[in-house]
Amino acid sequence: MKAKLRRLLSWEGLLLAILVLVAAVNANLAPAYVSLNNQINLFQLSIEKIIVALVMTFIIINGEIDLSVASVMGLAACIVAVLFDRGVPMEWAIVVALLAGVLCGAFNGFWVAYVGLPSLAVTLAGMIGFRGVARILIEDRSIGGFPAWFTALGQQPLIGPFPFSLILFALLFTLALIVLQYSGVGRLVYVIGHNAAVARYSGIDVPRLKLGLFIASGLVAALAGVLLAARLGAVRGNTADGFELDIITMVLLGGVSIFGGTGNLAGVGLSILVILNLRNGMSLLNVTGNVQTGVVGMLLILSVLLPNLAQMARERWQRRAVQRKEVQTGVETSVSS
Amino acid sequence: MQATKRHLFFAVTLIIALLLAACTPQSQTPAPTSAPAPTSAPAPTSAPAPTTAPTGGVVSATPGLDINMILLPKFLGIAVFDQAYEGAKEAHAELGNKGNLIFTGPTAENSVAGQIETLTNAATQGVKAVMLSNNAGDQIAAAAQAAQAAGVKVVTWDSPIPSAQGESVFVAQVDFNETGRVMADMALSILGPQGGEFAILSASPDAANQNAWIASMKQVLAEPKYANLKLVDTVYGNDQSEESYNQALALVDKYPNLKLIMAPTTVGIAAAAKAMTDEGLCDKVKVSGLGLPSEMASYTLSGCAPQFALWSFKDLGYLTYYLAYGLATGQLQGVEGERFNAGRMGSYTIEKDPTRPNGLRVLMGPFTVYTAENVNK
Repeated sequence: MKAKLRRLLSWEGLLLAILVLVAAVNANLAPAYVSLNNQINLFQLSIEKIIVALVMTFIIINGEIDLSVASVMGLAACIVAVLFDRGVPMEWAIVVALLAGVLCGAFNGFWVAYVGLPSLAVTLAGMIGFRGVARILIEDRSIGGFPAWFTALGQQPLIGPFPFSLILFALLFTLALIVLQYSGVGRLVYVIGHNAAVARYSGIDVPRLKLGLFIASGLVAALAGVLLAARLGAVRGNTADGFELDIITMVLLGGVSIFGGTGNLAGVGLSILVILNLRNGMSLLNVTGNVQTGVVGMLLILSVLLPNLAQMARERWQRRAVQRKEVQTGVETSVSS
Repeated sequence: MQATKRHLFFAVTLIIALLLAACTPQSQTPAPTSAPAPTSAPAPTSAPAPTTAPTGGVVSATPGLDINMILLPKFLGIAVFDQAYEGAKEAHAELGNKGNLIFTGPTAENSVAGQIETLTNAATQGVKAVMLSNNAGDQIAAAAQAAQAAGVKVVTWDSPIPSAQGESVFVAQVDFNETGRVMADMALSILGPQGGEFAILSASPDAANQNAWIASMKQVLAEPKYANLKLVDTVYGNDQSEESYNQALALVDKYPNLKLIMAPTTVGIAAAAKAMTDEGLCDKVKVSGLGLPSEMASYTLSGCAPQFALWSFKDLGYLTYYLAYGLATGQLQGVEGERFNAGRMGSYTIEKDPTRPNGLRVLMGPFTVYTAENVNK
């Protein structure tokens, strides 16, 4: 009974409650919300971001951050477009774009893991640098006119009503869930995130794991960039610009600590659902973009503040309890003497 | 073990929540309030065949139908888009539309994704027409095509979809070729016959209207009359005041002989005029382009921006509304040669867009050139 109560009071429980509330309000105010078509649209409109959020969860739990993901997405999209524009077959263009993602990730990973620079600085440089390369490649143009099979990948249903990218997300989510929560590698991600020094002295190859995570981040971001190009059917230099903040928002709201070591994919999955459903509901009710951004921002502020405030309150309460006990024992000793 | 169980519990809850959300049958939902009135003619679902050219009558829309419509600007917080909304509201009231006219838009930072989102959700909401000032280039074409397939008419205004895919008709504020000539004439009149160096401060590299105007201006500049006007650079301020302001100052630093900044965007021209005024450069570098009289009056009177041009955005919103209403009610098919009545503005014809191979347009026009004499009128 007590365990159940605690579960409800956990961060995930709170998110679930918010999700139910959001869904109920949406369904009441906007009847079209519950249609299957809308539910698919709601994922489809942000599918690239939520795919990258999965790997970002690993990075942040590991105690690092990757600000360059959106730039890698943009770079991959630009590479696909530019190569296609020059007559390279689309299949090869995609392979080159994914390889570029791996390279970007390896670049970030090398400086963070083997040189020991803070990931905030390294990936900030990557964010600007990779975007710069993308803009140099594509200049001020907008490239489109991709082959039909490629755009269908991002726009048409593949199995039943579900488009390719949504199925891919479901598979990646399952894979990430198994790796992070039920495998040895996942345990290492937590251990290193909790205390990298202890992990190193325990004989764990910390740099190798960190490098691996950043490469995975680059690869997944590049994949998401290719998917974005397929969905939009046209690419320009600022494609995916600013997505990194939305992605990090999803992970932090999911209860993953920015200091590393805590959080889980269930929370991130719920936070993704909360944000997407909230945005979708506001959009269906014609709430303007300014207000939408404000509401999601408030949510993030609360998600950072609430757990910390709760922690502070708990500590203060415990300290008081200890003090009270001390006072009581003090009284007893004085009486007896 | 405890942790494992907990994660499993949430994974299962998540899946159940997903299934519940996805599987609710559509038939259980209450009838949407936005259902089209039974009186409205069914909108044609297939693309209009070019052979069905109408026989020449001017279509006057039947007022009082129930048509939900969205006016979707590039983003919020720009004065001219608010003026377009004023015009659309006027038409909305005149036609006695029982449905809603919704004015909504994304933030500037989220413009592309936001426009795509609104267009995608329009079909879900039962909206019958979206009036779009496109800021996403061809990146919005897929979403526009999907919306059309779901029965939403997409009418563009101010800025079209470059490929015209997914777009019914574009309401062009002025002839794009005329814009180039008007800008070239203003430059010539400001710089005089001896001419000099000038630069263009545009909005974004992907804004179809800006690019078409700049291209047409370059064409006009090739004529011998404009031989002394030397275009040295084109820069982009993304319709953000601060970015445009900085770009204007950067131009002055980069080209010491610069005499004029031509900004075919209301945000750009105001920012450039402010930058020149702030830095005391007005005697050396003049500003011109497309601007709002309310924002430009002080600069025009001070001589910093002696001439600029514009059309009425209110009229643009008004005309766009009449066209979108006609298309959404099925009274207009959206084919070349069709004529329709646009209230106080008279009748207009749908024609081939000379700037886009597959596009249709309705041409509003004409330009007003503002100087110190008429800017405060």
